[in-house]
Amino acid sequence: MPEIKVTPLGAGQDVGRSCILVSIAGKNVMLDCGMHMGYNDDRRFPDFSYITQNGRLTDFLDCVIISHFHLDHCGALPYFSEMVGYDGPIYMTHPTKAICPILLEDYRKITVDKKGETNFFTSQMIKDCMKKVVAVHLHQTVQVDEELEIKAYYAGHVLGAAMFQIKVGCESVVYTGDYNMTPDRHLGAAWIDKCRPDLLITESTYATTIRDSKRCRERDFLKKVHETVERGGKVLIPVFALGRAQELCILLETFWERMNLKAPIYFSTGLTEKANHYYKLFITWTNQKIRKTFVQRNMFEFKHIKAFDRAFADNPGPMVVFATPGMLHAGQSLQIFRKWAGNEKNMVIMPGYCVQGTVGHKILSGQRKLEMEGRQILEVKMQVEYMSFSAHADAKGIMQLIRQAEPRNVLLVHGEAKKMEFLKQKIEQEFHVNCYMPANGETTTILTNPSIPVDISLGLLKRETAIGLLPDVKKPKLMHGTLIMKDNSFRLVSPEQALKELGLAEHQLRFTCRVHIQDPRKEHETVLRVYNHLKGVLKDYSVQHLPDGSITVESILIQATAHSEDQGTKVLLVSWTYQDEELGSYLTSLLKKGLPQSTA
Amino acid sequence: MSVPESWFIARARRRFAMTRECSLLLPRVCAALADPRQPGSDDTCLEKLLDWFRDLTELDPTVKLLQDNPCLTEFISSVLALPEPSPSILSFTLRLAGILAASEIRFQHLQQEKLLIRLFGRDGPLNSAVWEDASVRSGWVEGVHSMMHHQPALHFLCDDGSIDVIFTLQGDPSLFVASAASQLLVHMLTLSVESETTKPLSTKDCDWPACAQMIIKRIEDSLQSSSASHIEQSLKLLTSLFGSCRATWTEVLWLGVAKQIESFLTEETVQAQHMLANLFLNMAWSPVFCDAEGSFWALVTSALEHLTPVQAGPLAVGILRLYKCPQDVRIQAVTVLLQPMDCILRAASQPLEYAGLLDESVSDPTAVESLLSSKSSCASLLCQTLAHLEELLSLIRLPVDLPCTSLLRSLMTILQFCNGFLCPASPLGSMISRILINSFRVQRSALDVIAALSEKKGGDSLIGSLFDVLLAYLESPNTSPTVLKKTFQATSKWLMRLQELSCSNSQWQQTQKILEDVFLVLQKRLCSPCWEVRDSSLEFLTVLIKYLRDQDEFRQSLLSSEVPRLTENLLEDPESYVRASAVTAVGHLAFITYFASESPVVGNQYNKENTVAKLQEILSTDPEGFPRRAVISIFTKWLRQGCTGQLEDTEQFVSRVIQTVEYDLDWEVRLGGLELVEVFCSQTICQLGLPECPYAPVSSAVTSSIHQDELLQIFCRTKLFSFLFRSLCDCDKPVGQRACDILLGLRSSFYPISTLKDSQGTGDSPARDSIAWLQRTLRQGSLAQNFLTDGGNGVDFQDPEIMMLALGTIDLEELHDELNKSSDHVEKSPQSLLQDILATVGTIEENEADCY
Repeated sequence: MPEIKVTPLGAGQDVGRSCILVSIAGKNVMLDCGMHMGYNDDRRFPDFSYITQNGRLTDFLDCVIISHFHLDHCGALPYFSEMVGYDGPIYMTHPTKAICPILLEDYRKITVDKKGETNFFTSQMIKDCMKKVVAVHLHQTVQVDEELEIKAYYAGHVLGAAMFQIKVGCESVVYTGDYNMTPDRHLGAAWIDKCRPDLLITESTYATTIRDSKRCRERDFLKKVHETVERGGKVLIPVFALGRAQELCILLETFWERMNLKAPIYFSTGLTEKANHYYKLFITWTNQKIRKTFVQRNMFEFKHIKAFDRAFADNPGPMVVFATPGMLHAGQSLQIFRKWAGNEKNMVIMPGYCVQGTVGHKILSGQRKLEMEGRQILEVKMQVEYMSFSAHADAKGIMQLIRQAEPRNVLLVHGEAKKMEFLKQKIEQEFHVNCYMPANGETTTILTNPSIPVDISLGLLKRETAIGLLPDVKKPKLMHGTLIMKDNSFRLVSPEQALKELGLAEHQLRFTCRVHIQDPRKEHETVLRVYNHLKGVLKDYSVQHLPDGSITVESILIQATAHSEDQGTKVLLVSWTYQDEELGSYLTSLLKKGLPQSTA
Repeated sequence: MSVPESWFIARARRRFAMTRECSLLLPRVCAALADPRQPGSDDTCLEKLLDWFRDLTELDPTVKLLQDNPCLTEFISSVLALPEPSPSILSFTLRLAGILAASEIRFQHLQQEKLLIRLFGRDGPLNSAVWEDASVRSGWVEGVHSMMHHQPALHFLCDDGSIDVIFTLQGDPSLFVASAASQLLVHMLTLSVESETTKPLSTKDCDWPACAQMIIKRIEDSLQSSSASHIEQSLKLLTSLFGSCRATWTEVLWLGVAKQIESFLTEETVQAQHMLANLFLNMAWSPVFCDAEGSFWALVTSALEHLTPVQAGPLAVGILRLYKCPQDVRIQAVTVLLQPMDCILRAASQPLEYAGLLDESVSDPTAVESLLSSKSSCASLLCQTLAHLEELLSLIRLPVDLPCTSLLRSLMTILQFCNGFLCPASPLGSMISRILINSFRVQRSALDVIAALSEKKGGDSLIGSLFDVLLAYLESPNTSPTVLKKTFQATSKWLMRLQELSCSNSQWQQTQKILEDVFLVLQKRLCSPCWEVRDSSLEFLTVLIKYLRDQDEFRQSLLSSEVPRLTENLLEDPESYVRASAVTAVGHLAFITYFASESPVVGNQYNKENTVAKLQEILSTDPEGFPRRAVISIFTKWLRQGCTGQLEDTEQFVSRVIQTVEYDLDWEVRLGGLELVEVFCSQTICQLGLPECPYAPVSSAVTSSIHQDELLQIFCRTKLFSFLFRSLCDCDKPVGQRACDILLGLRSSFYPISTLKDSQGTGDSPARDSIAWLQRTLRQGSLAQNFLTDGGNGVDFQDPEIMMLALGTIDLEELHDELNKSSDHVEKSPQSLLQDILATVGTIEENEADCY
């Protein structure tokens, strides 16, 4: 029975680093290659030694697919390709390919900034890795090799995020990566056609949550920023170079425009330009509203947001600053934070996840007295706010996607075990499909029942038509022929053609059977009785009595001999070919019943 | 040795110590973790907590930790008392208990409390519903592994019958658990034999200790079983045992199973062959086996014969990496690797045109032929073989002679199959060529081997045709960017080889022609619409210039082509990676065009001022870091090689660069600027005859002081001090550290150690005030406000006297220590971890689920 095997090396019952191995019809694919930012040793990368015990990675894996540019999905890629030694193809969408190196570079800089960081990839490695990437378009079927094909679908979530369909023959898997089923300020909603995959591997970050509208969170965010600025305070928003930063920039820019606010907004890293360049370049990936208004006004050309200079942090008066890195653990964002933390009029808004140990994590968990370098204690008087802007599908969205794609099986990743358990039951109840949730390192095996396409030779088809059986779409038809399996393909041809192609000689196989009949007459008389009997019963068949005393019915041959010990018993030897097996069996059973008296 | 060792231990003790603060926090942390009402703690916190305990317990084997912190045993008890503990907390508890029980005395302590039996015994988690959770099983195995350092632990496990559990776990659905269980058994077997054997073991009188006996019996039984998975597990176990343990008793164990394992080579019913290569290789590294006469190597030889070509390949290449190995086995191994290449060569050639690679083969050649003629296996066999050959060629000393010329011919044949340039008449050849056409994987692998082969002798007679093949790849529009990159790499390696050859046999005409062809195709590639191709082309050009710039033919061909002009054009490429590579290429080109001792052969149409201006413009205006970093690194290279003097006054050059980079947003550019400053300082000091080393004898006090003044003036004119002092307050640590190192170096040049103290009281009052201001500002570090921007603080960074005073007065050592404190020491400290765990207690759960 063909099977699909799935082993998460990361994202199995956790929201860490995504890395999922899929084995489908003899092909091995790695879905995402993420890093865990919570560690600063080898644990930050998936343990790739589990991929194959024997042989090289490049020989084992047919390809790597990256769903989107977030580091928990692509952060280990340069390590995997340049340090572990994978040298095969890597696929991602065009925007992901463009943006991925910016984030990788951003994170590399933050990492090597710290002391004692070793075993980390370099800028050159990031570039060499990106040069190996094959960029794909949405809905474009990409042939990885002759059997394996992949296709990307729009996933929302972030610019360039995609779900991927992986197909070998008629078996297929869809991997969602992270997705969002509701459109947001600059991206549309995820969409997939009814592709009925054997397996849908879906993220389940918000498996049990029905998220409130993002609008509310945005309103809340703007209100807080506005209030702080109004009272003359400064707002610090630590961000990563790209992604959430752009979303928040659009939000603030529009708000500033509408409210005619004058307080300056700064972006600290000089990265906006490049980021905005990509948002412009990949305008087709953004949502309809942005595309429509693009002609009149480009949403990514900001009027109010300007480049930040280090000296501005000490300027009096209100301001809003976007600074990297996003977790407040080094560099400029931390520097500004230290300057502003002591003033209760100021505010820091953390728009994303922070790993343990970072200042971001500490202030989010409510710590207000922080030990900084040199044993200095920093008292945090400024307001600390957390804003979740992550764009994942909630429980409703996940169910909606399943309804859309109609998979035969579902497998949950990228979520917490408890929440997955709940969603799993819901999915199984509602859709009557099996739902799996393997832990990291656990292999789930899914049996598939694929229909295997077979090519039929023209000769065979013509012959069938000649017999008079015209093809009918509605009626499945049984067709006889010889199946040739060669080079992973199947062909049905006529036996003669098969023999010719394979250079084999034909051997006739005949079935024989002995039937005992009580008849004291001489042999030729018995034969005549049999002949007459058959002639009478089998009116549509050609029954012949041959000069040598044998009878033929089509290819079936009947000969009679006297029993060596009992002359009153005649032995009928019936033999037939495979083609006439049915008729042969019928004749044998007919003769076993004996000859009718009347024919005597 | 004892001194540094104890120093390391002392440092480690300080770093991981259970401080008073930590011991106050720990009970609350334990209580929070054991509280089922609290949401589960972040996994990384638990992992880091275990790391800390591991360090703590390794440094101190006594029971003090448990006695001083009773909350630890209380925590274990309370988790055990929970009716439904969460899998992650239970797993954590199992691992923690294992770490604590690693020393015998703590093991006994936990035993007395009956905690270990409740955690790891039959009535513990392994017979409850939570066992279904892989993290609990994993925690159990890891816990047992951690405690397995002494006999009581060994007996605890064996007497309880838990060893069966470990054997079962070898087949666990979780790869992590299965692998950990196998490792644990290896560890237990080694521990048992090595700690419990009283006399040396021998085959005749083999008295295994009880625990080892149990494990060995299980291994033997499963090897004889009919279950493929059992056989596989035992082979895996033996493989890691022989890989990690080199004691003589392993041979005794091996002799007990050798016959059975040998039979796997020939019995086709048992699917265990694929495991054997690794097993034999690990054995071959062990002196126990590789020194043995005959029998082991006979087995290896038999394996090379009986395994399929795909299975035998890794074994063969592994054998060739061995230091000790009989030569005939090596020859067999190399034959296995060359067999597919031989087959390619024979399939491609007309009868008797070329001899193959091999006179005889190790295994049935038809096996290789049939693999190569099948669509599903051809490319993978070739890629594997090629990777092995590349690995072999990377060895410094080849253990056997390789037929390099034939190998090269075979590689060229593969490349020609792949691009459709060769379609042989033989049925096998035409079949392989049809399969390989457009196979990027095979192309890449073959090109890697060709590149590696350039460093070995042989193949010179084919060099002309090799370049035909390589050029065809460079020219073809069908060549994929990744293949093109590999072609460039192979081409550059063989061009270097070609240069060496043409020097020795004066075949410069052939070289000239090839170089012209290469530059012609490079011209096209530099204009490719694909940035990857443009970038690889520039990288290729840089490599060529680096290695061949002293060769006349090379310089002539390059300068008479359009390549230099096109390269300069790429300084304005829309892709930043390409701009950066163009900067590097232009920087290297300058060594031929502007800085060459003889003026270039071809007319000097290159305007160096123009180029330098362009590079400086990139440094000051490029919106991205890569090109700016490339410029600063090229400038430093020029300075180091003494080329900048040909452009303008070096002083002016350095000064201009400093002013450009000191406000750069990218800290790596600022760091690059400091590197340039460092080179400039040491060059200037050397030029003026000042010894760089403070301990070197100073020639004369008078000349020295004249030079010092001159030096200070130069440094002040270049505005180097303001850059250095400003960098001390940089918000990115590496910049501050580097600046401090440079300042310390400068100080040692100006102040011999003996005079340093005297300098501190000198100087007039305003100067002292400004130094005091500087000192205060530097102490604020990156929090310093508007440092040096207004210039009204009284510190004139261009005043040599004040700078001399600053160098002597400011406590650079203290600053150095401060800056060198790990910027993330707060993040890593155990106290911070405990505080974070406590702080997250009771926070909203949603925060944790929110990823990036």
